[in-house]
Amino acid sequence: MLEAKIIKSYKNGFSLGIELFIEPNSYNILLGPSGAGKSLALKEIAGFEKMDKGYIRLNGKEISKLPPENRMIVYLPQNLGLFPNLTVEEHLFFPFKARKIKPDKEHISNIMKEFGIEHLIQRMPSQLSGGERQRVALARSLMIRPEVLLLDEPLSALDFHLKMRLIKFLKRIKQKFSLTIIHVTHDPLEAIYLGEKIFTIEKGKITFFGSVKDFFSNSQHGFAKNIKEQLIEIKNFLKTY
Amino acid sequence: MSKNILNIGAVIISIIGAFFIAGPIIHIFVKLSSKSLIATLKDGVVWHSIFHSIYCAFWATVLGCFLGIPIGYVLSRIQFRGKSVVESLINIPVAIPHVAVGIALLSLFNQRTFIGHLFRTINISFVDTVYGIVLAMMFVSISFIISSSIVGFNSVDKEIEMVARSLGASHTYTFFRITFPLALPSIIRGFVLAFARSISEVGALLILAYFPKTAPILMYERFEEYGLNAARPVCALVIFLCSLIFFTLLYLNKKYVRS
Repeated sequence: MLEAKIIKSYKNGFSLGIELFIEPNSYNILLGPSGAGKSLALKEIAGFEKMDKGYIRLNGKEISKLPPENRMIVYLPQNLGLFPNLTVEEHLFFPFKARKIKPDKEHISNIMKEFGIEHLIQRMPSQLSGGERQRVALARSLMIRPEVLLLDEPLSALDFHLKMRLIKFLKRIKQKFSLTIIHVTHDPLEAIYLGEKIFTIEKGKITFFGSVKDFFSNSQHGFAKNIKEQLIEIKNFLKTY
Repeated sequence: MSKNILNIGAVIISIIGAFFIAGPIIHIFVKLSSKSLIATLKDGVVWHSIFHSIYCAFWATVLGCFLGIPIGYVLSRIQFRGKSVVESLINIPVAIPHVAVGIALLSLFNQRTFIGHLFRTINISFVDTVYGIVLAMMFVSISFIISSSIVGFNSVDKEIEMVARSLGASHTYTFFRITFPLALPSIIRGFVLAFARSISEVGALLILAYFPKTAPILMYERFEEYGLNAARPVCALVIFLCSLIFFTLLYLNKKYVRS
C-alpha cells in the first residue's frame, strides 16, 4: 500500500499539492492535461525530487528520506530509459548487479518467456522495434519485483494498433505478477481500458479520484467533465456510421 | 539555376580552403630531399625530441583528463551561481597568446613563489624540466577535454540515469556503468584534440621549459640557426608521426562508437 501527501513549490511558480492512496495490486491512472504536474508527482514518489512537506509511506514505512535506489519503486519514463550501451541480457541482469545480489535465474527465465524476449537477449536497444523496446523495458522493471511500478506516459508515442496490443499486454502482466501500477497519461482511452482507479490532476491538484464507473457517473466539473463530454461526442459521432 | 551557382561557388571555395590547409603540408614533403631525410632519421637528437614531445603530451593529456572530466561533469549536471563565469574561464587558455601562458606559468611556478617552493620540497621543479613541459602542455590543452566532457555528459539523457537509480543502482554505479560509457566517445574526441594541441605547443615552452627539447622547439631552433632547409626534414618527420597518431586515435574512437 502506498500513501503519499506531496507539497512542493517550484522555482517557476508551479506548486504541487496532492494526496494519493494506492492499494496493493491495483492499476491506478493519473490522468491530466500537459503541465498538470503528473510527471512531477511520479518523480516525487520515485525520489528524484525533494518535496517541501508531506510524506510517502510504503506498506506503512516512511520512505521519503530514502534515495531512489532503496525505495523498491521502479520508474519507467516515456522514452523507456533503455541503456544504449547494454544488450538486452545486460538490461535484465542490471538490477541484480546494481544491488549486488545473485540473479534469480528462474525469475529471469519466467519473465523472458512471458514477455517473449528470449530471442532478443544479444541485441542492443538500437536493434529493437518499438514493441520489443516496450517489452524489454517492462521486463527489466519487473526483475527486482518492485512494490510499485511508475509508468510515465508509456503508450503515448505508439500508433493505435500497437497501443491496443500493449494495453492488453499490460493488463495481463498486471494480473500475472500482481503488480501495483501508477500510470500517468493524458489519454482518457488508456484510463478507461486500464484504470481500476482514476485520479485526475489539474494545476498540481487532484480534482477527482474513484473507479472508472465513478469517473463517468459522478464527475461534474473540470478535466473529468471535459473528457466525459468528449467521449460522449465521439460515441454520438460513431453512431452516425 | 541559382542553386547550381551556389553549389559551384561552395565547391570552388572548398577546394581553395582544402588547398589552404593541405598545401603547406604537401609542399614540405615535395621539397624534401631523400639525403636530408635519411640524415634526420639517423639523428638521435631528433628522435629524442620526438619522444619527449609524445611522452609529455601523453601525460599532459592524461592529467588533463583527471582535472577536466570532473569539471565537465560539474558544469553539465550541477546548477550554481557564477556557472557562466566558470564556463567562460575554461576557454581562456585557448584565447590568450601562448607566450603569455608561459610567462604566467613561470611567474606562478618558479622556485621563489610559495607554490614553486612547495613543489620543490617533493623534488619537482617546473623550469626547464619535463614537469614544466607537461604543465605548459596541460594548461594549453585542458579546455578541449573540459568542453568535450560537457558535450558528452549533456548528451546522456537524465531519465536514463533516473531509471538506473530506480532499478537499484547507486549514484556512483550509475555514473560508471551508464553515464561515463555513454559520454566516453566525446571525451575521447577531447583527449585526441588535447593530445594534438599539447604536442604542437611552442610558445609557452620557449618561456617555461626550453629544455629538454621537444620536437617543435628543435624545429624552431634548427630554423633559427641553420635556416629552412635544415628545419624541413625534422618538420616532415614530426608532421608524419603526429598525423599517424592523430588519425589512429580518431579511427579507434570511431570504432568504439560503432561497437
